[in-house]
Amino acid sequence: MAASMSGYTFSSVCYHSANSNSDHEGFLLGEVRQEETLSISDSHISSSEFLNVIEVHNHKPCAQLFSFYDYAGNVNEENLNSILKDRRQNVIGWYRFRRNTQQQMSFREQVIHKQLTHILGIPDLVFLLFSFISTANSSTHALEYVLFRPNRSRYNQRISLSIPNLGNTSQQEYKVSSVPNTSKNYASVIKEHGAEFFDKDGVMKDIRTIFQVYSALQERVQAVCWEVDESERVREKIQEEVNKLKEEITLRKHNTAEEERRLQEATNTAVTLPDDSALSDPLHSPLMQVVHSDPSVEPSLERPVNSLSQPLYSTTLPPDSPSAILLPRPQAVGSPGHPSPSLGLGNGDGSSSDSLNRQATGQEDQDDEDSSEYENVVSDQVQPPSVTEAVTLGRPATLWPDGDAHSPPGS
Amino acid sequence: MQPSKLDTANSSRVQWDSGDLDQGFVGLIFSCFIEDKHIKTGRVLYQSVQAQKGSEYEWIEIPIHVVPHEAIGNVCLVSAVDLPRFLCQEEQDTYRRIHSLTHLDPITKIHNGSVFTTNLCSQMSAISGPLLQWLEDRLEQNNRNIIEHQKDKEQLTQELASL
Repeated sequence: MAASMSGYTFSSVCYHSANSNSDHEGFLLGEVRQEETLSISDSHISSSEFLNVIEVHNHKPCAQLFSFYDYAGNVNEENLNSILKDRRQNVIGWYRFRRNTQQQMSFREQVIHKQLTHILGIPDLVFLLFSFISTANSSTHALEYVLFRPNRSRYNQRISLSIPNLGNTSQQEYKVSSVPNTSKNYASVIKEHGAEFFDKDGVMKDIRTIFQVYSALQERVQAVCWEVDESERVREKIQEEVNKLKEEITLRKHNTAEEERRLQEATNTAVTLPDDSALSDPLHSPLMQVVHSDPSVEPSLERPVNSLSQPLYSTTLPPDSPSAILLPRPQAVGSPGHPSPSLGLGNGDGSSSDSLNRQATGQEDQDDEDSSEYENVVSDQVQPPSVTEAVTLGRPATLWPDGDAHSPPGS
Repeated sequence: MQPSKLDTANSSRVQWDSGDLDQGFVGLIFSCFIEDKHIKTGRVLYQSVQAQKGSEYEWIEIPIHVVPHEAIGNVCLVSAVDLPRFLCQEEQDTYRRIHSLTHLDPITKIHNGSVFTTNLCSQMSAISGPLLQWLEDRLEQNNRNIIEHQKDKEQLTQELASL
């Protein structure tokens, strides 16, 4: 079995993955076709082989993790159908993007894969795993990808994923000279019948025809690209409007909560006042004074002037930060910014020639947990951390090798 | 992955073209279609480097970070669509140069014409076709997202009005 995916589809998956601040996953859409290859050798007159080729045409990204399964890896078919909708029959696999992890399926992924195979009714469902790694100085980045075709006995069976390329574009197939031939018959036959290939201008007719096909295709590409560009701007604009509305709602709710809190405090303060004059002179009682007083006068109720205008979290970096303009992506534990002796990324002197070499173990290790998945889930669920916080994210409570669930020390 | 001497020489030339060092000039090197057939793992690499003064072949690595962006910019789309156009232009230039040779016999001319047709077909099937497919899928995805965001916007507007 083999698989093929166009560079654009591959790039599109990478694009969605790069835009996510956590692990990213989705479904691969396409078809399976059979190719027959004929081979002739000295030992056999001819032999034909049938090869199943998986063609990946498109992908359907999931908006967030755990959108169709829970923490135990139980797949929810209803959620799955709401994600796939009418494209369920086109599913040929699913994919996952992780950072700084090994190229092996995690136990949860194996569990999910088994269920998807059963639910979708695809015995040869494939799983494409992307892993993103960087050198310690963030100058070199690598995206590795492996296509698994898990079956009953082996979850680490891999198949080749080819990205069709133009191949050799050196244009060496053109001939700049003709083979010398003195035969008059050869010359006369070629001249007589060869003329049918050329038009009155001496240009090959096929050249004009194929160029017309190409031009029409390029025009169509241009037109659709223009539509895509428009739709990107509309999407961007409406996304901004939605984000602003969400911010406005959050702000209003915050203000409302603050108002309620102030009123509550004022009520509590009035209730606890022991002075009897409050009963004798209700108009000038401290209770009324507290309720009607300007909040800015009362130091206990005073709040910072700009507290509500500040964003809920700060995205500004220290002035001496080298990346004040380009915000680095949050990195999971095990990233080059976080010491990880097993990865050995970077030599510390800027060289990176050998630091990205990896070797697949080829061993199925069901005890090996997907560490970045947990960290990134935590970072996805809480407010986006600042740069300095990202490298110190610890592991959430999870199963440790001894089987007990407890929080890691120091987190 | 290391830049070649040609890469650093070219980079150095551009950096010091005006006589002053252009601190902001960096080179991005992409390495694609790498596959380890033994372990069936593919890899795509990219690296950011800058040539150093004093030697054409010395270079340093520059940190590079990809900034997330939900929408694809116009520049990226134009570049994507320009690629098949440039490839076709290169093919046409080569063919015109070959076709201008007058000493070729008809069989050789037919051969060269077929090479041009084959190469153009290869470009259409490997580049233009998949590009068009991706553009159509992206358009469909954008339209769906716009509808969803529109619904979200209406709901949020109502919620805001109620607060």
